[in-house]
Amino acid sequence: MAKHNIIKLENVWKVYKMGEVEVQALRGINLSIPQGEFVAITGSSGSGKSTMMNLVGCLDLPTKGTIYLDDKDISKLNESDLAQTRGKKIGFIFQQFHLIPTLSALENVMLPLEFQNMPSDVARKRASEILDLVGLGDRVNHLPSQLSGGQQQRVAIARSLANNPDVILADEPTGNLDSKTGADVMKLMQNLWDKEGKTIIVVTHDLKLADYAKRIVELKDGQVIKGG
Amino acid sequence: MRFKKLFKLALNILLNSKLRSWLTIIGIVIGVAAIVAIVSLGQGATLNVQERLGGLGADLITITPGVEKAFGGFKGLGSGAMLAASSNPSISLKSKNLTDKDLQTVKSIEGISYVNGVVSGRVEVFYLAETSSISIQGVDAYAWKYLVNTELEAGRYLNPGDTNVIVVGSGVAKSTFKQPLALNRPVTIDGRLFKVVGILKESGGIGGEDNRIFIQIDQARYILGSAGQKTFDSISAKVSDPDSIDQIVSEIESRLLISRHVTSRNKDFTIISSKSTQEVIDSVLDTINIFLGAIAFVSLLVGAVGIANTMFTSVLEKTKEIGIMKAIGAKNYDIMMIFLLNSALVGFVGGILGIGLGYVISEMLPNLLNRLGPSVSVRTLIPTSLLVETLFLAIIIGVIAGAIPAYRASKLKPVDALRYE
Repeated sequence: MAKHNIIKLENVWKVYKMGEVEVQALRGINLSIPQGEFVAITGSSGSGKSTMMNLVGCLDLPTKGTIYLDDKDISKLNESDLAQTRGKKIGFIFQQFHLIPTLSALENVMLPLEFQNMPSDVARKRASEILDLVGLGDRVNHLPSQLSGGQQQRVAIARSLANNPDVILADEPTGNLDSKTGADVMKLMQNLWDKEGKTIIVVTHDLKLADYAKRIVELKDGQVIKGG
Repeated sequence: MRFKKLFKLALNILLNSKLRSWLTIIGIVIGVAAIVAIVSLGQGATLNVQERLGGLGADLITITPGVEKAFGGFKGLGSGAMLAASSNPSISLKSKNLTDKDLQTVKSIEGISYVNGVVSGRVEVFYLAETSSISIQGVDAYAWKYLVNTELEAGRYLNPGDTNVIVVGSGVAKSTFKQPLALNRPVTIDGRLFKVVGILKESGGIGGEDNRIFIQIDQARYILGSAGQKTFDSISAKVSDPDSIDQIVSEIESRLLISRHVTSRNKDFTIISSKSTQEVIDSVLDTINIFLGAIAFVSLLVGAVGIANTMFTSVLEKTKEIGIMKAIGAKNYDIMMIFLLNSALVGFVGGILGIGLGYVISEMLPNLLNRLGPSVSVRTLIPTSLLVETLFLAIIIGVIAGAIPAYRASKLKPVDALRYE
């Protein structure tokens, strides 16, 4: 049975207006990503890969074109529905980790669950399970500032998994880590991909990182030039 | 997201920027404390006046001719006279005096237990080589003792048939002359010797008794140069049932209109009841209280601006976190509630502390102010409702001040917010 496409972009354009100048960040992207695939989106700076991640992650809307997430058109959703979709279907991992500095590791992982109105005790149980899974079972009550970079990124990975999303979006997940820690983090992600069967999209300019993926999509000047 | 959790996140923001939060809270504390202290001062003043007026009895009615003496014994309360005058703008201020016939008319009304016809004026009083101009009232000795607004401090009231004796108010006895007037001391009025047979207790100045001399009406007429005339400067009456006072006032009015051959348009007398006096004074005090409260409220408004300022800074500072929270599923509503609750919390904490501070200040104020002199009598009263209302107001202020920043935060686009450095 052919795997169904969890993400499908059809002629997607994104145009920014910087004062008088129009910047075409994406120019007619067509791309399908089947469920359960580990994809790396690469390209040099300015190639449009971050813009694409924002669109797929429901953080932004395309200027033109259609994006399907799990067969649902998300290119015309309102802000509240977008938030809902993000919370349920997408897990984000950022280069800067982006943890809430005043909350403990556990509370950070609980947060996406609680935004979906999960009761605190259930969320707490689920969050500590995932923290165990990423190997931070003994650090649950630490604040981000009390954790190393690698540990923080693992908390972020745990957070991205909390809601059991269909798609994990990682934007330069190792960009702020030394190479050894970066490799550990990537191994962890690969592991998760093996075990949980999630669709993982890693956005990176680092080709070594891209090697962990099963498919590499390369962007240049807002267009797919390889792997599309 | 559940309310409890949003509240926790809001509290988290408050606790994690302690210095700024406290500075903002202080702004509210000052405003709330000012309101509590000032309003409690006003309430205390109201209570003071009400207690003194309470001595007047709720059962007294005073009738004066014309409208210029609308307040008779309550001169000095200009607004009351204005109030009375404004209802009769066309009346000449020189009206003819009340007559014996009027007295009899009032006396005949059911429900009135005592009626006292009064003549009044100012006379030169000599005592131990000192002279002073004092207000004198000629009264009906039989009825007067039942109509006095205060009590005897020493001696006795006037008796029917007394001659050459006077009863003096506490002010006249204690502070008019260098040497206090004591019982049985002689004073000279209009070349005649009078003996002090009674001294009244202090009435608080509102009834006007404190600075008066009371004397038999016939002798007063003689002294004041109206001997033989059967007219009065005012008539006071006591009703047997204070609850029926309004009804009796209107009964007196309609009877007097008939007996004096006037209509309500050219009415030439004024009826004042202690109840109406109290209402007038209450409304004056209310106005003062509202005015003072408004001044205090301004300082609370300044506090509100402080909250708004802090909230804008906080939203700016938390832009990235707002982006993160949105990325992991926070809705606009969630973000807005977090910031609204945060500023409501600032209002709440400021309100609680402000009430505490205001309470302490209002306890200390009477002590401080009363040292200014014996004539100052300040007290404060803090009704529970004031505390509850002020706290509520502080929270509302917090919410309003936080509304725009919170709305802005909620409207941030996640992409922009995440990119914010």
